[in-house]
Amino acid sequence: MRRPLLPAVALAWLALGSGPARAAEPPPLTVFAAADLVFAFKEIVPRFEKALGVRVTLVLGSTGQLAQQIEHGGPADVFFAADQAFVDRLVAERVLLGETRALYAQGRIVLATARAIGWKLTELRDLTGPNVRHVAIANPAHAPYGKAAEEALRKAGVWDAVRPKLVYGENIRHTLQFLQTGAAEAGMVALSVANVPEIDWVPIDPRLHAPLNQATAVVRRSPRPELGLAFIQFVNGPEGRPIMKRYGFLLPGEF
Amino acid sequence: MDWFPVWLSLRVALTATALTLLAGVPTALLLARKRFPGRNVLEAMVVLPLVLPPTVLGYYLLVVIGSRGPVGRALAAVGVEFAFTWGAAVLAACVGSIALVIKSAQAGFETVDRQLEQAARTLGRSEWSVFWSVTLPLAWRSVLAGAVLAFCRALGEFGITLMVAGNIPGRTQTLPLAIYDRVQAAQMGEANALALIAVAVVVVLLFGLSRLARLRY
Repeated sequence: MRRPLLPAVALAWLALGSGPARAAEPPPLTVFAAADLVFAFKEIVPRFEKALGVRVTLVLGSTGQLAQQIEHGGPADVFFAADQAFVDRLVAERVLLGETRALYAQGRIVLATARAIGWKLTELRDLTGPNVRHVAIANPAHAPYGKAAEEALRKAGVWDAVRPKLVYGENIRHTLQFLQTGAAEAGMVALSVANVPEIDWVPIDPRLHAPLNQATAVVRRSPRPELGLAFIQFVNGPEGRPIMKRYGFLLPGEF
Repeated sequence: MDWFPVWLSLRVALTATALTLLAGVPTALLLARKRFPGRNVLEAMVVLPLVLPPTVLGYYLLVVIGSRGPVGRALAAVGVEFAFTWGAAVLAACVGSIALVIKSAQAGFETVDRQLEQAARTLGRSEWSVFWSVTLPLAWRSVLAGAVLAFCRALGEFGITLMVAGNIPGRTQTLPLAIYDRVQAAQMGEANALALIAVAVVVVLLFGLSRLARLRY
């Protein structure tokens, strides 16, 4: 019974070889970006691709997770962090090119309510109410928006009351998904991802948390640092800025 | 819809299954047949990947094979990038699934009647020949069952892959990672379609295999 099996498996393996092998094309520019950029970059990336005639692979994740991958040789050409501290650390470790470091935005957090539940929270204190059973925030240990959410809850004096209700998303996109599915009634997400049909939101006073200054830099191992730098300049340039602004980011020079 | 994750996962799982059989069957035979110092340690090490959380395992692997790790640096010296490639996804799948091959094959080898092997030896067969003509044919079902389990585990491998291969669309984004990505992006339609494909692939493969080998669980 081994006879028909082995050749069949070998054949299948060879046939599959044609799938993943895309070696003929030039490798795309790989952008590791914090998850709060998901919507803005989905608009910016195609424009950049068109303008420069290159392909871009966008990898979204939590800033901490992406930073850790880049540290261990993750194939990023350029890194957009949701917190400049991560970029500065990697610059100090000579993983990122310090001369390419640039601020690109300041983020905002909002108090979000899942629309499915039929009412809307207006202030952080509302999170302590009995009708809110789950509060979604990004994991404060490695996601900058989660850290800001924790700071705001502490500053507002509701941390201890809200803490048992917290559910942690891996990153801000995951946190948003808790709200979109109604799994959590309320939560705190980035303004840049808050305009989705499933949720309502109100801004959170930015004085309640350390500013979410966001920085980017080109990765030292990148074989094409000039292309990564071009992408940074595109985001910070006349094409990128209006899009970033539309998604609620404050832009360099505004903060 | 993007079919790349499906092809990549099938290729990764097939490669990993072949490699785990290559490494796992001799290990299983060793554990089933020989008494040697450190045997209990080896037996414990074999199941360790099933005990440790995959992401933890993945992190340790990354520390070793990443650009700063000893293996990663040695490979880089000869111009090979291993972390964050599809090869790293194969390694992840192997680590996650090899215990299933070893334990299943070991159980199979332990039930083989040693007297039959002895009889073959008295007839002048070499150890190599005894294995291929007596031991393996008698334990074949267990080995195949282990391989099938390993293939399924490899196809569904998530945590280790995420850490050592990244989640790079078009390069290392396997089927489970693609589903995870779609769910996070609240693209439930695509997530459901991919999950359905994963289930269909496994059902078709298992059905075909059981017909081919009259395998019973």
